[in-house]
Amino acid sequence: MMAPFLKYGLFNEEVSLVVAFVIGIGFGFALERAGFGSARKLVSQFYLDDMAVFKVMFTAIVTAMLGVTYLSWIGVLDLSLVYLTPTYLVPQLVGGVVLGAGFVVGGYCPGTSIAAAATGRIDGLVAVAGVGFGTLVFAEAYPLVKSFMNSTAMGPQTIPQYFNLPYGLVVFGVVLMAIGGFVGAGWVERRVRAK
Amino acid sequence: MSFSFSRLSTNQRLAALAFVLGLAAIPATPTRGGAVRIAPEELAIAIERKADHVSAPDLADWIIQGRVDFRLLDLRAEAAYATYRIPGAENLPIASLPAAGLALNEKILLYGEDGVHAAQAWFLLKARGHRAVYMLDGGLEAWKNLVLYPRLADAATPEARQRNERLRSVSLHFGGTPTAGAGEGGSEPAVSAAPLPPVPAVKGSAAARPAPKKKKEGC
Repeated sequence: MMAPFLKYGLFNEEVSLVVAFVIGIGFGFALERAGFGSARKLVSQFYLDDMAVFKVMFTAIVTAMLGVTYLSWIGVLDLSLVYLTPTYLVPQLVGGVVLGAGFVVGGYCPGTSIAAAATGRIDGLVAVAGVGFGTLVFAEAYPLVKSFMNSTAMGPQTIPQYFNLPYGLVVFGVVLMAIGGFVGAGWVERRVRAK
Repeated sequence: MSFSFSRLSTNQRLAALAFVLGLAAIPATPTRGGAVRIAPEELAIAIERKADHVSAPDLADWIIQGRVDFRLLDLRAEAAYATYRIPGAENLPIASLPAAGLALNEKILLYGEDGVHAAQAWFLLKARGHRAVYMLDGGLEAWKNLVLYPRLADAATPEARQRNERLRSVSLHFGGTPTAGAGEGGSEPAVSAAPLPPVPAVKGSAAARPAPKKKKEGC
């Protein structure tokens, strides 16, 4: 049995929607249990007194990365079939800034806003409505921003391929970066809370 | 060892585990491309729906938009490729296809002189597990007829005029010339295959044509 299951034909596109639904429920549950259904918890990240967002996200990255690495190393996962989002450097930088600004102002990122809305939080519902409205505005304005959206296109890129580094070395580097980040985050939290 | 380990918090133990796994992963070589499975029904449906084709005008739009999420492969011999190629195309004579080392997650668009070689290469790649392989509908012939030298229909309605304007600008962008089919009775614009417009002088110059594309990206 080889992964990705969808691309190896283990189930079809319709079943993949069911799978996505189940995974989505699990993801939302995990977000809610981590406290990320609360805007206060999320925004604490930006005040640096609670770095849980950073720690959880980086933990997720490292866990998924190690899983993918080992599964593809032992030949259960075909890495060449895993979808890579193409890089559009400048548009993605701008998009990141816009998302970050919305995150600070609204208290939610898109995924957590849905988790918050699911538990009936009014600010979460408003954030979801805002996501919908913003998507509509973007879709209507798309012809205006299209040429910018397609600028600095670099195609699908990975760090090992772009910098021509051994795959495993990058994996180890990211683990070190995460551990360093966790230590640093703990230090920052203690400093900020002491004030 | 166990004495010091037991004094760590859960977080620290997990971090230590990640460190060990990361360290052990340094020599990791991920699997890229594995077993192949052909689904004949799936292929047949894709063929019937023409989901395996990209039309020449669509390709022209992609190139003008500066899209780089696909690789355009010219399957003809090197000499033909040197004379004329669609901008951005890489030469890959069909004989060298099996050894080309194309990644399985790349979107690949194939074209040859007509549709035949592209179709054969399409099946080769599909059989090797490439998911996103497409053919240029009608090959280079269609590119010439529909993009470089399109026949313009009678500009009777505003829509037709708009359409003509668009065809003309695309054609000029790629160094072609649209032919006016206005006076010659109401022949359908799509059936312009019969009187094939000349393809001579432009051939050489069209080879080095990324410059106007760049310019177009900006505006």
